[in-house]
Amino acid sequence: MKEIVLDISNDGEVRIETRGFKGKACLKEAQFLKDLLGKQTFQQLTPAYYVSQKQETKKYLNLCG
Amino acid sequence: MSHISKIEVEIHSLEDLKQACKELGFQFCENQKTHKWYGTNKESENETEFGKCDHAIKVPKCKYEIGVVKQGNHFSLLWDSYYTGGLEKRIGKDAGILKQAYSVQRIKREARIKGYRVVQKRVTNGIRLVLSF
Repeated sequence: MKEIVLDISNDGEVRIETRGFKGKACLKEAQFLKDLLGKQTFQQLTPAYYVSQKQETKKYLNLCG
Repeated sequence: MSHISKIEVEIHSLEDLKQACKELGFQFCENQKTHKWYGTNKESENETEFGKCDHAIKVPKCKYEIGVVKQGNHFSLLWDSYYTGGLEKRIGKDAGILKQAYSVQRIKREARIKGYRVVQKRVTNGIRLVLSF
């Protein structure tokens, strides 16, 4: 399941964590939140960021030689 | 998990600031051009100086008021944290409680427009919003 978790602390700082995304999709999905709230002061990419979306490729066997 | 970001909040939406004030029981005074603080603003000509503002916020049981000042594309909060004014106790250090309430309103409004399901809960050091779709 894809989620964006925002923790807004009592001192007014917002921490954004994306969950369930693979690759760069998480950055795109969370960008609107960063744009509407203010300035990004910190960013850490997690291992899931480097996992690319699987792409299905069809392989055909040449049966006629 | 895919990535983690931290954001320093800037106030861009007066509507969400008004809604945040309502949630906290504060009074948003639109177009009030001065706000109460320790000193006076009679000699002040700089619009970012204490005492002058574009709007003001009255906080119940506080002697001083918060000034809302337009600076470029965002609004700044000007307020006197001196203890006799009572503001820091109500709005937190660096107005954190007010910024928190503003952020919650801002996120909820925009996330719903974009079709997210929003769940809000209180956690140890603040408020958690979970956006899913």
